[in-house]
Order: sequence, then C-alpha cells, then structure tokens
Amino acid sequence: MACSNLTMWVSSKPSLSDASGLSFRSFLNPFQLPSHNTPTATCNPSRSVTPIHCGLRELRERIDSVKNTQKITEAMKLVAAARVRRAQEAVVNGRPFSETLVEVLYNINEQLQTEDIDAPLTKVRTVKKVALVVVTGDRGLCGSFNNQLIKKAEARIAELKGLGVEYTIISVGKKGNTYFLRRPYIPVDKFLDGSNLPTAKEAQTIADDVFSLFVSEEVDKVELLYTKFVSLVKSDPVIHTLLPLSPKGEVCDVNGNCVDAAEDELFRLTTKEGKLTVERDTVRTPTPDFSPILQFEQDPVQILDALLPLYLNSQILRALQESLASELAARMSAMSSATDNANELKKNLSLVYNRQRQAKITGEILEIVAGANAQI
Amino acid sequence: MTLNLCVLTPNRIVWDSEVKEIILSTNSGQIGILPNHAPIATAVDIGILRICLNDQWITMALMGGFARIGNNEITILVNDAEKGSDIDPQEAQQTLEIAEANLSKAEGKRQTIEANLALRRARTRVEAITMI
Repeated sequence: MACSNLTMWVSSKPSLSDASGLSFRSFLNPFQLPSHNTPTATCNPSRSVTPIHCGLRELRERIDSVKNTQKITEAMKLVAAARVRRAQEAVVNGRPFSETLVEVLYNINEQLQTEDIDAPLTKVRTVKKVALVVVTGDRGLCGSFNNQLIKKAEARIAELKGLGVEYTIISVGKKGNTYFLRRPYIPVDKFLDGSNLPTAKEAQTIADDVFSLFVSEEVDKVELLYTKFVSLVKSDPVIHTLLPLSPKGEVCDVNGNCVDAAEDELFRLTTKEGKLTVERDTVRTPTPDFSPILQFEQDPVQILDALLPLYLNSQILRALQESLASELAARMSAMSSATDNANELKKNLSLVYNRQRQAKITGEILEIVAGANAQI
Repeated sequence: MTLNLCVLTPNRIVWDSEVKEIILSTNSGQIGILPNHAPIATAVDIGILRICLNDQWITMALMGGFARIGNNEITILVNDAEKGSDIDPQEAQQTLEIAEANLSKAEGKRQTIEANLALRRARTRVEAITMI
C-alpha cells in the first residue's frame, strides 16, 4: 500500500514542484491522491480527452481491445468498398434492359398519344389510402443511413395523418422491420427481407405486393421511400410515387415534379491518386424511331399492360440497387472515421501507458536508492 | 438472312445470339417467328419460349413481358427467364403444388390475384422441363 502511494506521489511530483509544501501535505493524506492526476492532464493542453485513470494492466488491455476494434473496422471498410463495386456492376448489367425498356415505352407512348388508353396501373383515383414502401438496410454500422430513412418515413406518415389519409407500410430490410415491429400502432402490410445483392426476384416480390394492393383498390397510391445514391459521401432519402404510373414513363415525386426521365445516370467507382472517388456520367439513351410499319399484335392497351409491370419492376430494382449502394457508401465512410478514431485513441492510450510505465520505473529506482542509502 | 434473338431481364442478358426460328407465347396465342418476319410489337405472356438452334429445340420459361420484332432482330424484355435445362424438376414440381394449394386457400380479391399469378409461373416452369 505504501509502495503504491509512493509511486503515485512520484508521478505527480513534476507538476507540484513549485509548491513543495502541498506535496508534503498530500503525502500525509493519501485519500486526496487521485486529484493529483488532474494537474498531469492540464500540463498537456493539446489533449482534450478526459484523463485516463487506470493501472498499467488495464491500459494494456484497453490498447489491445482498441487495436482489435480498429482491425475490424478497417476490414469492414474494405469489404464495403469492394461491395460498392459489385453493386455498381449489378447496375451496369441491368442497363441493356432498362435502356431498351425506356426506348420501347417512349415509342409506344408516342403512338398511343392519340388513343384513349385505360390501363389499370395508370389510373388516377382520389387518394384515400397510401402504401409506403420503405427500403432500409439489413445491417447497422453504417452511420445514420437507416435512421435518416426512417425519419423521412415518420415525417411522411405525420404528413399523411395531417391530411387525413390512411396509410400502410411495406417494409423492406431488417432494420426497418425491427423498427416497425416495435411500433405496433403503425399499420404494416408486409415485412420483406432485403439481401446482399438485389435481384429481379426481390423486386418482383415487392412489385407483386404493390400491384395487387393497387389493382384490388385497397390503396390508391404507392410511394417508394429509398436512399438515392448521390456520391460516396452523400446520399439523400427520397420519396418517389410508384403508382399510379404516369403513362409517359416518368417517375414523379410527391409534388408532381418529374424526378426521373429517360435519362440514366451511371455512377462509377474509380481510384484517383490512390483514393476512391465516384464518377457519375449521365447517359441519354438515344431513341431511334420505330419503323412506322410496326404492327401491334394485340390491342395497344394490352401491350402497355404488359410493359408497365416491367417498368414498375425495373423502377423497384433500381431503387433497391441505389439503396444498397448508399448503404455501402455510408458504411464505408462510417468505418473509415471509426478507424481514424481508433487510431487516435490508441495513440493517446499508449502515450498514457508509456508515461505511467516510466513513472513506475522511476519510483522503483527511487525506492532502491532510498533503501541503499538507509543501509549505509 | 439470319435472325438475331436477344432475351433481356433486369439482371442480365439471358440470350444474345443467332437463331433459326422461335416460337413465342404471346397474349393472343403462340406465334412462330422465322427470318424476315414483319415488324411487330407484342405482349409476352407467362409461358414458354422455344428456340430452334442447329436443329435442336431449346425451351425457356418466360415470366411475362414484351417482345419487339423487326429487321430480323427480336428483342424480348421479360421479368425473369430461365432455361428449361437450368430448372430443378423436383423444386419446380414442389412450387407448383404449393401454388395450387395456395390458390384453393385464397380469400378475397387480392389473394386470388396473387395466387393465380404464382400458379401460372409455377406451371410454366414445370412445362418448360417436360417439353424437352
């Protein structure tokens, strides 16, 4: 006990050298000792963190655990970076389809302009009930990604309540599922799981659900809430009106502004000077004219009927892909800042550890010297 | 003249090569397409696509969509397409049985719509295997 008091006294000695009377008093009263660590911290003003009080062994353990955590976050960052690439590839693979689809839809629409079309998916009814498709991620550790979207959903729900419109939720992704499961007062139509890589099958499941809800007139409007991928550091939660489809093949936001035209944006992950960056190029799909002698095998309405579900599917798939890309990007930046923080914490901890170790050694030497002196 | 077939799904390009002849199930029945066919646009039902390649017939299950034919180019846009040889017969048969059971249990307009769609998809997949 006396020995440990001595080491503590020695370690705090340099800061008290100007007031030696004080140090003597504190030696007599060991219960005040912890307060002497505060001056040690104040002598190092560059460190804003609270002083670390713990023994050498605890410090070593803490350094080890921070090291481990840092390794994990570093690995997660790299994995997320690799998967952003994969998500990007999925978008590229889907492009021939969406390009042809937009082209065909555009052309057919041109030809149908004069006719009075009445397709069930384009029918605009007075809105009594709205279905919200909320696309969240499956996993956490990605900053505020899931929270942002859920907040957006809550805001929309409040807005709908204010308007006196009923609503129901279709939740996609585990994070959203747990959120809505904990809040039984929010009516949820269906819980769906997301996956590592969105495929047409998952989009189909959502589309089927939305389709039957809309066609059976249970809901009059379907809105899709997802996170739009802007860049690796920026993504926006957005609301798209999914149904009724506007026959022009556009996706409109809540206020009726067109947010998606025939323009197709492609994001590309590249390495520039050793850093990951994102390039986005806008590709305008050329719309070659249909041959004017093109015959319709069926009624144009029936063809439109076959095309619109396809369009609905590709819209949902695209939203899923964008949401995944945003999630991965969010995770990447969250993990990279976590790695940075861990590095700094490790540095600070080892500084404290080394100081304490040095203080202990000095104390031991003093003890030995004092003992030797006493024997003479 | 050669005939080019391109089958696209949202995920990938399923087929992109020359063919001799195809038989396509459209909403108004099956049609056969040979080289130099008149340009048409048609809705494609949930059904089977048969492709003639080197005097061999290949079947493919299509999950509904759209086809455009013109200039000896056939473009088929579908939600999902599976080659008959890639489908697991046991799994397909099971899915069909489940779908049938679901339809008999279905209540209300919405469930019936869903069950009917699922049943037709399952039936097509089984047909695609048995065709070979």
